[in-house]
Amino acid sequence: MQVKCRNIAFRYPGAEKALFKELNLEFIRPGLHALFGTSGVGKSSLARIISGAVDAPAGVVADDAQPLLYAHNLERLPDWSAIGDQLSRVTPPHNRDKIERLLDLCGLNGHTGQRFSRLSLGQQNRINLVRYLVQDFQVLIFDECLANVDELRRRNILLHIKAMYPEKMFIYISHHVIEVATYCRDVWVLRDSSKLPQAVLTQGLDLFPDQQPASTRLHQVMLEIMNAA
Amino acid sequence: MLHNRIFQFLLIYTLGLLLLLAVKYIFGLSDYVIPGFWLLWRTAGDVSVRYAVDGVNTLSVAIIGQMASILLAFFIGIVGRQATWLGTIVKVAAYNVQAYPIVAIAPIIFILLGDGFLSRLFIAAMICYFPLLLSVVGIMSEPVTDIEHFYQQTGRMRWQLEVKIRAFENLSKLTTVIAGSSTLALAGTIVAEFIAANAGIGYNIRIALYQSDLAKILVALFMIGITLSIYQGLLEILGHSVRKAWTS
Repeated sequence: MQVKCRNIAFRYPGAEKALFKELNLEFIRPGLHALFGTSGVGKSSLARIISGAVDAPAGVVADDAQPLLYAHNLERLPDWSAIGDQLSRVTPPHNRDKIERLLDLCGLNGHTGQRFSRLSLGQQNRINLVRYLVQDFQVLIFDECLANVDELRRRNILLHIKAMYPEKMFIYISHHVIEVATYCRDVWVLRDSSKLPQAVLTQGLDLFPDQQPASTRLHQVMLEIMNAA
Repeated sequence: MLHNRIFQFLLIYTLGLLLLLAVKYIFGLSDYVIPGFWLLWRTAGDVSVRYAVDGVNTLSVAIIGQMASILLAFFIGIVGRQATWLGTIVKVAAYNVQAYPIVAIAPIIFILLGDGFLSRLFIAAMICYFPLLLSVVGIMSEPVTDIEHFYQQTGRMRWQLEVKIRAFENLSKLTTVIAGSSTLALAGTIVAEFIAANAGIGYNIRIALYQSDLAKILVALFMIGITLSIYQGLLEILGHSVRKAWTS
């Protein structure tokens, strides 16, 4: 299972500066990986290019891991019916057994009768993530999908996703350096296009439930990530 | 909603009437130019029942014309929403045809179809169709990306779902446009009746005009205003009920 970007070049129409110049990076194993970087370096744009929503004029995106889905935190569910009904409708029959567990994990069990617009921002992001997790996928890119969710629940969700889907690849886009350093395996740090190489690989601690990070090692990884950025 | 519409119309009509009467009494104009209050009252008593029936007749033609326009606008709007060559042609044609004053085509329709029901219906439908079409095409061709993204990513997007999402997200806009188009449909029907038809409130206005009878014209205007207010109020209530049923 792999997702490879080779010599990607991209510039938004009308922009003076290229967003990507000969960008190279690859995710080659299942697990929770991260795409990290400061605001505006192009994390979401790269995710859109990888998912095929946007075409890059130069370079190659190769993956042998289809279906590849891209979820982001600005998505909404239609408000014409309750979220529980919508979740059942978009879940393939063989994944129905996961719904209850994921709703429980995300703390949404008592909210399935509500409309999307009635939920808090954190709940909206979580229900959006749940509906992606019940799809058939090999790779899921989730872009700030845990924004507005409290730390403890974020930790819980990330750890359980890793445990529930050991064969799947997750690419987590986040600004949260502690989270990325603690729970992710390959952390690709995306930088401004004036810096070469534009993407630098660092290794996260990739912790699983019941594992505790050694504080010095965590600090070291965080420093590596911040230095790379 | 209905009360508001009727109240607003009555207020405007009364103000307009008072202005006319003020002009009459300030300048000492005769009843032939601007009828006095009692002449107006008598005329209303004489013709109001007949005009009310004719007003309903005109409104029924306008409603049928508007419904036909809505159906056609949605059909063309749904076809024209796509960024295909067909969609582009539909949009360009709609924008260009809309810029032409459709009323100017009315005489051709009367020459071809004669002065019966069909001509009135056709003109009413044509006049309210293009503004409706522009709104529907605009709404249907504007993606609701934050909702549609998931369905596109998971391969679930069908044209029916796309139309449902866009209609749902723009329901207030659509009901406002539909309620507003009723004015155009009624205006189209009255214009048709005024030009050459042989029935309806517009036909009565034409006769009153030939007789220079402003009292009859004012009674006819009252009938037009009150029937339109009731119809628009009912449309708004219907739109509100649809929204409520869909979102609650």
